[in-house]
Amino acid sequence: MNWKPNPFAIVGLAMVSAPIIAHAKIYVTAEQVQKILLPNKQLIQVPIIISEDLQEKMRIASSIRHPFRGDRIWKAADGSWLIIDEVIGKHEMITYAVAIAPSGSVLGLEILEYVESYGYEVAEAGWRKQFVGKTAHDPIKLNQDIQNIGGATLSCKHITDGVKRVAVLYDLALRAK
Amino acid sequence: MIKRCQALLGTFVEISTEQDNHQAVNEAFSAVKLVQNLMNFHNPLSELNQINRWAHQVSLEIHPWSAEVLRIAQEMHRQSDGLFNCGIGHRLVSAGLLPRHIDLSRHQLGGIEDVHFRGSQLIQSNKPLCLDLGGIAKGFAVDKAVESLLSSGIESGCVNAGGDLRVFGKSPSSVQIRNPSLPSQLIDIGSLQNGAIATSGLYFANRDQQQSHIINPFAQDESEAHINFSGSYSVIAKECAHADALTKVLALSGEYDHPCFNYFSAQAIRISA
Repeated sequence: MNWKPNPFAIVGLAMVSAPIIAHAKIYVTAEQVQKILLPNKQLIQVPIIISEDLQEKMRIASSIRHPFRGDRIWKAADGSWLIIDEVIGKHEMITYAVAIAPSGSVLGLEILEYVESYGYEVAEAGWRKQFVGKTAHDPIKLNQDIQNIGGATLSCKHITDGVKRVAVLYDLALRAK
Repeated sequence: MIKRCQALLGTFVEISTEQDNHQAVNEAFSAVKLVQNLMNFHNPLSELNQINRWAHQVSLEIHPWSAEVLRIAQEMHRQSDGLFNCGIGHRLVSAGLLPRHIDLSRHQLGGIEDVHFRGSQLIQSNKPLCLDLGGIAKGFAVDKAVESLLSSGIESGCVNAGGDLRVFGKSPSSVQIRNPSLPSQLIDIGSLQNGAIATSGLYFANRDQQQSHIINPFAQDESEAHINFSGSYSVIAKECAHADALTKVLALSGEYDHPCFNYFSAQAIRISA
């Protein structure tokens, strides 16, 4: 082990140096996640119109209020599915993908993007839009030097809610297709 | 270069590697999932909950990783003079931070010191237990993921389980930790090579109006069990399980020079808020 403390940081005491703001992390793209979760499968995009009734049922099951977008759904010939969705918490917005096996069980779950904020910005659609659909190659407000962030544990409970709504979507709209 | 993230252990687990080998990263995530399945207090069928239910009545054959984590927890308990003790699950249950699987109110509960090894993977307990591995399992999972990556031939990378992280490889990596008084800001604490850092802080718990999950194992009753502090406590060590557990020793003792830091070749850091 080799640790070189920041010269501005005095061990055992309060440390103050130029703060860096935690903004956004992009892990994988929609294209990459298909290869990760459903490798060697030919996927066809199957956009679905989400009726108000379905939207409501998904909301009740998951308590997620923002509407589900039906344009990020893919299907493989063997009956497996890949769904991309977002959960928006008070403090963060997370884009994730769920792969569902032909049997209906969850095959895998991967985070595509994690955007963090502590203020009003996350609630504002305009602020969110700047991140949607971006890839790791796009120059957004991303500090590429931010690699390893330590600190208290963040909760991933919003993702659990997200998976609940994808499960309802599968049961009511995809399974029969 | 790969950088991926999955929701595991109740948090976000990030794995990054220099080499492009998704299979190796998948296996490392599987190692984390196995730790989660074995040691998850929330799942009534996890091995941890079987230990809590049966270990005082029968000898139990447990998974080698469960045996390993219990041995580390026991060594931590000895070296910290009892400050680190996993036998505090009932406090977190009473506070509503963990689910109640069995009614323990009538029992005199033991601690990690009451777990005895009858074989390398065979344990029994003198007293009923309510172990919670929340103070060490995240770090342990990080170590297992790193071991998995190394055995797949990955030369350098980082595994970060919600803020407890370990870096490995030839080149040092810079590490930032969250500013406890403003967690969206990061403080650059320097560079780390082949080492781990874990942090205990209550800023997210306070933000979400939860009780403190840092428990004093010597507390006689509920009222004095939950320790509150501002700021954060970080520990740098070779292995992440050690770093993770030692943050509790630091938060509880407030001593940077507690002999157990030296014993585990660890460094203590406090960031005041």
